[in-house]
Amino acid sequence: MALISSWLGNTPEFAVPFALAALGLIITEKSGVLALGAEGLMLVGAVMGIGAYLSIENTPLALIAAMVSASVVSLLFALMVLVMRINQVISGLVLVFFCQGLSTWIGSQFGWVNRPVPGLSEFAVWGLADIPILGRVFIQNAVVYATPLIFLLSVWALYRTTAGLRLRAVGENPQAGDAAGIPVLGYRLAAIVIGAALIGLAGAFISVLSTKLWIANMTGGRGWIAVALVIFARWSPWKALAGALLFGCIEALIPQLAASGIKLSQYFVFMAPYLITLGVMIWVAVSKRDSSSQPGALGSPFIREERT
Amino acid sequence: MSEYAVKRPLLSYKFSLEIRQQMAWYWQAIILAASLLIGLLISGAILVAAGVPAGELLNEFVLYTLLDVQSLQSVIFQASPLILVGLAGCLAFRARFWNLGLEGQMIFGAIGATAITMWEVGHPAMRLPLMIIAALVCGLLWAVVPVLLRLKLGVNEIVSTLMLNYVAINFLLHLMYGAWKDPKDAFPYSPKYEAFELLPDVFGGLSLSIPLALVIAVVVFWFVSLSRAGLYLRFVDQSPRVARALGVPTARIILITVLFSGALAGLAGLMVAAGQEGRLTHSFYVGYGFSGILIAFLARNNPIAATCAALLIATLFVGGRSLQVFYQIPFAMVQLIQAVLVICVASSDFFIRHRIRRIQGGD
Repeated sequence: MALISSWLGNTPEFAVPFALAALGLIITEKSGVLALGAEGLMLVGAVMGIGAYLSIENTPLALIAAMVSASVVSLLFALMVLVMRINQVISGLVLVFFCQGLSTWIGSQFGWVNRPVPGLSEFAVWGLADIPILGRVFIQNAVVYATPLIFLLSVWALYRTTAGLRLRAVGENPQAGDAAGIPVLGYRLAAIVIGAALIGLAGAFISVLSTKLWIANMTGGRGWIAVALVIFARWSPWKALAGALLFGCIEALIPQLAASGIKLSQYFVFMAPYLITLGVMIWVAVSKRDSSSQPGALGSPFIREERT
Repeated sequence: MSEYAVKRPLLSYKFSLEIRQQMAWYWQAIILAASLLIGLLISGAILVAAGVPAGELLNEFVLYTLLDVQSLQSVIFQASPLILVGLAGCLAFRARFWNLGLEGQMIFGAIGATAITMWEVGHPAMRLPLMIIAALVCGLLWAVVPVLLRLKLGVNEIVSTLMLNYVAINFLLHLMYGAWKDPKDAFPYSPKYEAFELLPDVFGGLSLSIPLALVIAVVVFWFVSLSRAGLYLRFVDQSPRVARALGVPTARIILITVLFSGALAGLAGLMVAAGQEGRLTHSFYVGYGFSGILIAFLARNNPIAATCAALLIATLFVGGRSLQVFYQIPFAMVQLIQAVLVICVASSDFFIRHRIRRIQGGD
């Protein structure tokens, strides 16, 4: 019982990075830009969050600094895909390599590796924390509680505002959007930068609030799992949140399994999230659900002069 | 032009992009060279920011690395696994398959070869050929799952190959910290290979891996340029739909090409294990998977150009290692520089394909 209680209690902490990264990816991809760079931007957010905390000793500001730095790095991606019109798959991959190199170098250059930070204190939701077994779920830090609100706000912005409508229009059919007078590249730039801020926050959550220190390449493929999660959720934010909770459950189970002393090599346990991601991708493919929810122009650059 | 137009600030002009139909090859070459130079300058600036004295940069990379016979040898030596992963990238990308699993295939190639040494399969004289076969087969097998999933079910290969990389890395760690650990010391390495299990030196201190890599480069060149499969592959690359309509066995061609790619990555794993390290280590694969993809991109999937690009990246690897020793700069710097070079070269394409025109009198 104590095991299940602490497992459930740890789930939100593991789910939040997936959820925020997937939401950032959805916002970017709704504008028609294929965003594969999540893994890299998370690393930038993670290292800069730790670095900012070590410099200014203020956790909320450190999180904001992480978001801003991920957005700044995403401008490079925007330059590649919007201005230079480089293949979006290659641009995303190069962004990941770039950020992996950059974050590792910055971390060691300034001596931020393995320096512990305090994170944010956890607090209980009044009354709910006393529920047996489930109670631990309601003792979390502020960012965990803010995540559903961020989702609510993003869904409202995407589906209930003119800007959101235009952003989705640009992702479905940029030529039509352009003809209607929507600045296609401007909306795509905004989507990349806002999405990157959320992905950066996801990375900083891992380093500043969860692990509470920086190690090179510490995201360990979570950005790629978020990419898979978006495909699994068919670009729907709420389904992505549900998927993130599922993956949070799985990740939270790993330390529990290790603690319970099951006779299985830890490395096989570490493989689980990746194998489950692969399984989910296969399941999505087998169930052949409608592909109409994918943004129509995903992955294709918009070039006014090159009519297709 | 009126005086008014002359005084206007630059940003108030409207610019338009035109598609260039044709560009003389020497202009293309000049733009490409200029973009590489800009990339190298940016990389140099990053290295100076990281604490390498500016004067030492030229020494480190040009004088010590390329003009010194011994380090030139180590560059060529380093190039051979990179040539193989680069060729593996070229093959897969020509089939329009984003094989990001080069790392995983490399790991399994090396594990397959090491299994032959651990279990002492075959007569010592036959050991090395067996290891080569094992590396090819294991690399190939690790590519089977993603390519079949893509062909049969349409599963996105970018995610599936990457996920399998992480599985392979954890399996390697499981072996290195567990059953295959060298009992002699505390490091997560396998026991050293026997002398007859290492890639031997051929003429003049050059390892066998270099001629092997070059022969394979020629084979790949034959495969993509001269063979029937290569012709079909060009159909598939240009337009998969038309290829299928014309009766090209698209699925079979993609399958064969991707498996070929996986086998080459597996062989690259053997080259690092049996050529450089002399054993299996827990981190031998670091940097190769990405480099293979970037080499293929730099070479525009041309096997001969990939061989040249691999030499460039090998220079970076060797230079990066000496920077690591002398200036404590993490090896990840090599990855950062690679990314910068690729961004610059990819951007050059934009200037080759477009002409920027200022629109007069627009407001």
